[in-house]
Amino acid sequence: GGGGGGGGGASYQRFPKVRIRELRDEYAKFELRETDASVANALRRVMLAEVPTVAIDLVEVEVNSSVLNDEFIAHRLGLVPLTSDAAMAMRFSRDCDACDGDGQCEYCSVEFHLAVRCDADQTLDVTSADLRSTDPKVCPVDVARALDADPTSYDSTAADQRGIIIVKLRRGQELRLRAIARKGIGKDHAKWSPAATVTFMYEPSIHINEEMMETLTLEEKSSWVESSPTKVFDIDPNTQQVVVIDPEAYTYDDEVIKKAEAMGKPGLVEIYPKEDSFIFTVESTGAIKASQLVINAIEVLRQKLDAVRLQEDTDLGELSAHLHGGG
Amino acid sequence: MNAPDRYERFVVPEGTKKVSYERDTKIVNAASFTIEREDHTIGNILRMQLHRDPNVLFAGYKLPHPLQYKIIVRIHTTSQSSPTQAYNQAIDDLDKELQHLKKAFESGFMLLQSVVEEERRKNKKIIWFKTQEHDALCAVL
Repeated sequence: GGGGGGGGGASYQRFPKVRIRELRDEYAKFELRETDASVANALRRVMLAEVPTVAIDLVEVEVNSSVLNDEFIAHRLGLVPLTSDAAMAMRFSRDCDACDGDGQCEYCSVEFHLAVRCDADQTLDVTSADLRSTDPKVCPVDVARALDADPTSYDSTAADQRGIIIVKLRRGQELRLRAIARKGIGKDHAKWSPAATVTFMYEPSIHINEEMMETLTLEEKSSWVESSPTKVFDIDPNTQQVVVIDPEAYTYDDEVIKKAEAMGKPGLVEIYPKEDSFIFTVESTGAIKASQLVINAIEVLRQKLDAVRLQEDTDLGELSAHLHGGG
Repeated sequence: MNAPDRYERFVVPEGTKKVSYERDTKIVNAASFTIEREDHTIGNILRMQLHRDPNVLFAGYKLPHPLQYKIIVRIHTTSQSSPTQAYNQAIDDLDKELQHLKKAFESGFMLLQSVVEEERRKNKKIIWFKTQEHDALCAVL
């Protein structure tokens, strides 16, 4: 203990515990303990809206004779998730000094080209696989995944590797454009959000009053067990005792508590949320791995906290900002 | 037409300070911190961390209006401390907590990865498997 900044005050720091239950490239499930809901919620909010990714932000259409108008296609292109492992280290176009803020240099943008023309009688799908990136690190996530799995057998026409459809063309129609992808955050536009869903729940603590439970008949027990909309409880076929089979299935719906009261057995079960224990699920769009999303969220939150520190000498702070900004 | 630019929500305008601090004129050891371009994410963790400090008598935050992109954090402390000291301490403690959390996640993810690779080398199944919905390999512990 002891020590710490802030003029030598005592430290009231916590040391949260983490247990990872399940991890895939685009999905993570973990327990977060020994911290409070404010930290859990801050992490959730940052994952959804403030972890940067790369997405198409500017489209210059050269030829578009498709049935969709230019704006419609530009919007659809923006929503295509792009591999964004480089996004944390990239610059935002608005504070990039290498390209005077026009957002078209290698530090803050990636250029894409798309040129498709239909010359057959069959409808032609224009998909994310038709986007040609100028930077191999940044490409549509579905294309990256297909190449990753087996680069030799990659076939953009195969049904399961068809890519994300942007527009369909009939004979004689053509789409030719240039697109600029930029770094951004979900707070600006949802297309930059790396998270499909992020949820957390309080871990429930369920206590059955065994003594009172034993006063119930088997029929009563089973009707009480059935009163829960999710399968939280069950009856042990051997002992005929009510057991908790899946505490996390409980949705805090209070149905079993109401049922117990209706049966004239208030206090049959006690359920309360553990205030310092959370179960998270994180689903990524594929722009970054779910594990990286969590780590980046912590880093972004740290940067945000650092930005709200009090400047000791405000005059000096402004002077140096002026010198750097005016250069 | 006259909608404000989207970036107005998170880019501090030039010439504006990120954090400004105003002491209460009537109560000693009380002050308000105005934080530009922040919301509940920062406001709530700061408030809760301040509540852990026994020298803090009051800590609260408000988002005065959803279209004014700022929060106001109000702190009242005992004479043993001061609002600025408590504020700095809260940020330091949260930063250390997040550093700890980042290490915990990194080692957790790394451990999982190494367990998975070890098991794969021993050619056991269970840990790695292919699901129908996901082409990617799954790690389940």
